[in-house]
Amino acid sequence: MKRLVPLIILLITIFGLAYYITPKLPQQTELRPLGEFYLKNSYFGDYSAKSPEVVTSILWDYRGLDTLFETSVFFIAIIGSLTLFRLNKKQEEEAKQKAEEFRIGLTLIIKSVTRVIVVMILAVSASIALHGHLTPGGGFQGGSALAVAPLLIIAAYSKYALEEHGLDKTRALIFRSIGLLGIALVALVPLLSGGFLMQNQPIFPAKLGGQLVSGSLIYYNFFEFLAVGAGFTAVFLLLAIPEKVFKKFLRREANE
Amino acid sequence: MIEIHLLMLLITVIIGLIFSYLAIIEKDSLKAIGFSAVHAIAYAIAFYILMAPDIVLAYVAVAVGIYSALLIFVVSKTERYEVV
Amino acid sequence: MNEVITFIWTVIILSLIATVIISLYGIARRPNLTKKLIALTIFTDTANLLVVLLGYRLIYPVAPPVLPSFSKEALQTFVKTAVDPLPQAFVITAVVIGMAVNVLIAFAIIQIYRLYGTVDARKLGEKQSTLLKEGGI
Repeated sequence: MKRLVPLIILLITIFGLAYYITPKLPQQTELRPLGEFYLKNSYFGDYSAKSPEVVTSILWDYRGLDTLFETSVFFIAIIGSLTLFRLNKKQEEEAKQKAEEFRIGLTLIIKSVTRVIVVMILAVSASIALHGHLTPGGGFQGGSALAVAPLLIIAAYSKYALEEHGLDKTRALIFRSIGLLGIALVALVPLLSGGFLMQNQPIFPAKLGGQLVSGSLIYYNFFEFLAVGAGFTAVFLLLAIPEKVFKKFLRREANE
Repeated sequence: MIEIHLLMLLITVIIGLIFSYLAIIEKDSLKAIGFSAVHAIAYAIAFYILMAPDIVLAYVAVAVGIYSALLIFVVSKTERYEVV
Repeated sequence: MNEVITFIWTVIILSLIATVIISLYGIARRPNLTKKLIALTIFTDTANLLVVLLGYRLIYPVAPPVLPSFSKEALQTFVKTAVDPLPQAFVITAVVIGMAVNVLIAFAIIQIYRLYGTVDARKLGEKQSTLLKEGGI
């Protein structure tokens, strides 16, 4: 109970201060002009991104270069983490050998429930990412939802179950590279037809086969979905290697 | 009517304050991860009340799911109890 | 009635600032590196919530920035009720990219534990100075 005293003092201070500050604070009821511009122009207007979802059109059209460089920060952060846990070819093969204590795993109930939920997570994350230009959602949201699925498999089965079904670190890195390359290529395409970098309208068609795809937004969303989901999967595959295996490698190197 | 929205927001923010305090003074790292997950859930509700459905979708997956798992991996590979 | 709304709004902002102060205490004063990482994420989340708070409007009804239907009349009411979309667009990238940077920090903590055998910041300082004296590094 004694450790809650600072918290209570803090709460009383907050209410007391609020009583004094309240008359001086302006009420925030108006939009800023920049926000109003985005709301008016995202679907109708002259500078349209042809998307009813204003946040996604800001992310990948109006402020696209910002997001492009954020994606490069993501790329460098994941590369840095993979470098810290670097293994050579022989050690990587050895890390894939299943250890004794992983033979049994958790109970049948957990395993079958996980199997159903993983399929649902994959469907929901793909839906979040591919409808990102129509409803709330997009590449970042869908990708982080996708990364939960391999995490659940690692928790319920083990990392070896993922590797036996063909999703090892190299594959995840290949998927991540496909996503990042796709983003770079879609950003460079407008230069071919005399536009500027990351231009959306009118270079990309707004409708494809009668469906609203909002120009380049759907391609960016899809590639970002792949990049984020596969990047986090690669990181968790490395984290799930038991510490015993790493200790063994380190000791062997020290002896040599 | 806006008062009800703001009151719900106030409750979630104060829950966030209390649980962030508990997470920081706790000596057992696993318990601290649990408290910080509760803090994340409260903030996810706050983002929903602030009319930001895009952020809720990203934040729930990252802060409640991936983040807790990452910290549990870190604690399992290092020390659990903090010596003050 | 107006004063009640402003009072609740002020309390919300002040408690967020208090959370920022608590997390800064955690980053600076807790010796355990894992605990520092937890405090850092609490700091990031609170900063993000403060940024989204900048774009909120104290009106009723208030709507998310997604166009409900494709007509000019809907656009009129939409601009009157929707919140500011720009802070939200910044926060989405900040959440996911911040997560990737935190993964890098977590990997660094694990590597520090492998090399030095401790994650206590004070012990790490002592060990480094002894290693320097012996010429081990």
